[in-house]
Amino acid sequence: MRKHIAKILLLPLAAYLMYALFASPHTVVDDGKIHVRYWFVSGPEEVIPYRVTQFNKTHDDIFVDATPIPWNEHEKKVLTAILSGNPPDVVSLIAPVQQWASRMSLRPLDKLIEQDDFDTSYVFPALWEEVNYEGHVFAIPTHTASYAFFYNKKLFRNAGLDPENPPNTWDEVREYSKKLTRMDDGDYTQIGFIPAYGNLQVSVLLANELGAKFLSDDGKTVHLDNEQMVQSLEWILDYYSDYDFDKLISFQSGFGYADQHGFLAEKVAMMILDHTFLDGIDIYKPELDFGVSAIPSFEGYETSSSTGNWWMAIPRGAKNVKAAWEFMQFAVSYEVQVKEATLMKQRLMPANINAAKDTALTNNKKFYNVLIEQMQYAKTPSIVPLVNGTFWREFTFAQERVIRHIQPPRQSLAQGNKVIQAELIRAKEYDIYVRQNMELEEYQ
Amino acid sequence: MTQKKLKNIMIFSLLTLLAVMFIIPFLWILSTSLKPESAVFSFQWLPETWKFDNYLKVFEKIPFLLYMKNSIVISLITIIGTVLSSSIVAYAFGCLEWPGRNTIFIFVIATMMLPLQVIMIPLFIMFKELGWLNTIKPLTIPAFFGGGAFNIFLLRQFFKSIPKSLLDAARIDGCSEFRIYWSIVIPLAKPALATVAILTFMFTWNDFLGPLIYLSEKAQGTLALGIAQYAGQMNPEYSVLMAASVLMMLPVIIIFFLFQRYFIQAFTMSGIKE
Amino acid sequence: MTNILEYIKHPLKRKQALAGYLFISPWIIGFLVFGLYPICMSIYYSLCQYDVLRIPQFIGLRNYSDLFFNDNYFWGSIWNTLFFTVIRVPLVIIGSLLLAVLVNNAIKGVKIFRTIYFIPSIITGVILSSLWLWMLNPQYGLINSMLAYIGIDGPLWLNDPNWSKPSIIMMSLWSIGGARMLVFLAALQSVPQHLYESVELEGGNWWHKFKHITLPLISPIIFLWSILEVIVSMQVFIEAYIMTKGGPLNSTLFYNLYLYNKAFDDFEMGYASAMAWILFIITMIITVIQFKGSKRWVYYEGEGAK
Repeated sequence: MRKHIAKILLLPLAAYLMYALFASPHTVVDDGKIHVRYWFVSGPEEVIPYRVTQFNKTHDDIFVDATPIPWNEHEKKVLTAILSGNPPDVVSLIAPVQQWASRMSLRPLDKLIEQDDFDTSYVFPALWEEVNYEGHVFAIPTHTASYAFFYNKKLFRNAGLDPENPPNTWDEVREYSKKLTRMDDGDYTQIGFIPAYGNLQVSVLLANELGAKFLSDDGKTVHLDNEQMVQSLEWILDYYSDYDFDKLISFQSGFGYADQHGFLAEKVAMMILDHTFLDGIDIYKPELDFGVSAIPSFEGYETSSSTGNWWMAIPRGAKNVKAAWEFMQFAVSYEVQVKEATLMKQRLMPANINAAKDTALTNNKKFYNVLIEQMQYAKTPSIVPLVNGTFWREFTFAQERVIRHIQPPRQSLAQGNKVIQAELIRAKEYDIYVRQNMELEEYQ
Repeated sequence: MTQKKLKNIMIFSLLTLLAVMFIIPFLWILSTSLKPESAVFSFQWLPETWKFDNYLKVFEKIPFLLYMKNSIVISLITIIGTVLSSSIVAYAFGCLEWPGRNTIFIFVIATMMLPLQVIMIPLFIMFKELGWLNTIKPLTIPAFFGGGAFNIFLLRQFFKSIPKSLLDAARIDGCSEFRIYWSIVIPLAKPALATVAILTFMFTWNDFLGPLIYLSEKAQGTLALGIAQYAGQMNPEYSVLMAASVLMMLPVIIIFFLFQRYFIQAFTMSGIKE
Repeated sequence: MTNILEYIKHPLKRKQALAGYLFISPWIIGFLVFGLYPICMSIYYSLCQYDVLRIPQFIGLRNYSDLFFNDNYFWGSIWNTLFFTVIRVPLVIIGSLLLAVLVNNAIKGVKIFRTIYFIPSIITGVILSSLWLWMLNPQYGLINSMLAYIGIDGPLWLNDPNWSKPSIIMMSLWSIGGARMLVFLAALQSVPQHLYESVELEGGNWWHKFKHITLPLISPIIFLWSILEVIVSMQVFIEAYIMTKGGPLNSTLFYNLYLYNKAFDDFEMGYASAMAWILFIITMIITVIQFKGSKRWVYYEGEGAK
């Protein structure tokens, strides 16, 4: 009896599977509007952003078809989309824009900007610098993350430090850190400040503050081992000598993600973090008593920061360029940015300067003034665009060697530099070859 | 009798000891899935508050049922294709003799060794030329063409253990090779075929890279892709993520539990002489 | 290998040969369509500078020579991968085999035990990495807590260059109850009972049974899995990618991770293709060695003899 039932079910099942296999891909609804396909890297909630819903409400002739894409592996997805010759019309990505721009995978926007007389001064200068490559504009920034100096007020009080008086110079950071460090039974239980912990490379920040120049003006020679970088690593090495390095590594190895983050678990008292970290604090430790201040600098030098750029661009090969461009302009307009910032759960700072300043006053977005200040001094992490991956990898290895006393700063950086330089030469050669031999409509 | 009992007790103790070791990962995932997000990676085993609603949140964050349906469809088609084609090809390598057999077999093995990362891009370009992008064809149709070198190899090893005398007897009786394959070898190799089916199921159920690059529409997503996407967001709720993965693992665990009996069929060769 | 003429002359042999070609045609077609083109393109790319987003530039064998003579990480990554493979493969094969023997008993509840052993092997990706980062946490993780219980000061595991590879190998131990064990179990189940009985009649104990009956009869399957495990181990990637990113001090920079970095972080698809082909050749060499060695210990009943 069972066998018969099974056999009866088998046929419709097989039929359904055949249908599923050979059904044609989803086709677009024909409603007379221009459909703009839009891929965006999604935040924690996979919500369709306000800019999309509002645009669709206010435009009769264009409809934006938005699809969220996951943050991890998003580069591969966009890569294969461009490769397929049928990419989305607009993308919102976080990857270093120059990586894409330098590889001719985005449409230059200069002509569109000129045609529509688009005001490019809306955005923080540091962000604008980043979306320019070799004299052309390839994207427009929509949001940013700004870095600042976070410190734990409660731990300050416990150490007898004034919680309203955070350190301003790196020497002060050093002094404060010693006071904020605690040991128990020979092992660390609390540390003031750990330079090599966190996603911002503090040593590069220091070098930038000192005025380091990593790439020659013609873009052909890289200097990882420039004077200021060497000085920076020497300072950091000296900083670590205040501590028992092995015990420090052991202590640091106990940090984790989410609620086990060093700063959230109150094991590290001071740290340079990007402001989206505030979201993390809300989720994992809302009761944390902390302060946010300007990033410290060396005596006599300006502070510095790093940019976290969320941008929109039109991939190479996209079809609905005009409509896409209209959507992009809409998305970075003042009204849309302000409204979107108030609606968004995630704390992303609008790239539109005025919108950023006004958002600071609404929705009780604490500390925004500090963050907006910091944006003035921000530098892009895309230091050597053509070989960005290699640059940061060699830098990380070089720093690791220095901190673990395997090699002194100058030699270690020089060793890394050799690798980057070799890569850069190769990439440049290839770049010249391609520009001579590849014909692309966007690049005429 | 007592010796046997003693042996059983020893075995049982060993099994239990190992069970403790092997259940720990699952217990951790389970416990983390019930923790409040603010303490998700805390180093305690029992959650302070039991957040059963994390499991409900899974359905809010991910179109779970839709993705599950897609995963099942893709898995079923792939399993059918793999079992059918790999068994036929394995029969050729394991039970038939023909010129060039060993050379081509080495060639088949060789294809197992090529890292996927590198044929991924040319393969993608080829599927684009075929017009198969944004469909499930790249994920399923190749299964009907050999079912993968590994499965062929696996089944070939099993088939080789079948006494040649049995097959020769059928040949002398006038049976066609296909008839021998279908009526003699397939029934004998049920445990092996079940293994191939389960392995294929596990692989397709958990595969997210394939769906990532070949399925662009949100409605086409699979469970593995949905969970990977959720994990890849800026601030995923790890507790909900763990709950989602528990739900995703359950079908595989249940199928394993049920399919086990196919391996218990101990078959004896002597009975086949009839 | 018999003479081709023999196949053409004898009708029975001819019938078999034709059937052989017919039956493998699905694979041949599949290979020609889904295999040949990607493989040829991949070889071509390995001779080029190519960033996927633009056109390839032919540079001859420069990728290969750069890898062998100018790359700081190439040899290190080969060493890391070989180390991992050589230690992991015997461990997991023997582990799964022993476990399969253990669960091959018709004890009450064995089905539940088998399922429990199976579960860790299906935990994937991010989840698995979160799990192990938690377990191997040097301060509070389970492993070091248990070691502390018996008085041992556990190492820094993934944070220590000397312990990072062993940590990842250790993770593999939890997979010994998975598909591999399933297959071994199936092989054990297919050993005819009467063979065991004849050993018993001759006065043999469990060791004799294992050594003279079980092992030889399941040797084809063990052989298959060693080939497979070598291939899989040589391509180790995901654990290092998520948990350590190759660190600390490049101790977990496995070959496939380095390849991935080159392909998708550096957009050097040509270089990565060359790396893939070198990996292919290395794996091929190891596999051939395994095949040659297999004549000594692998036993096929179907082909006659004892």
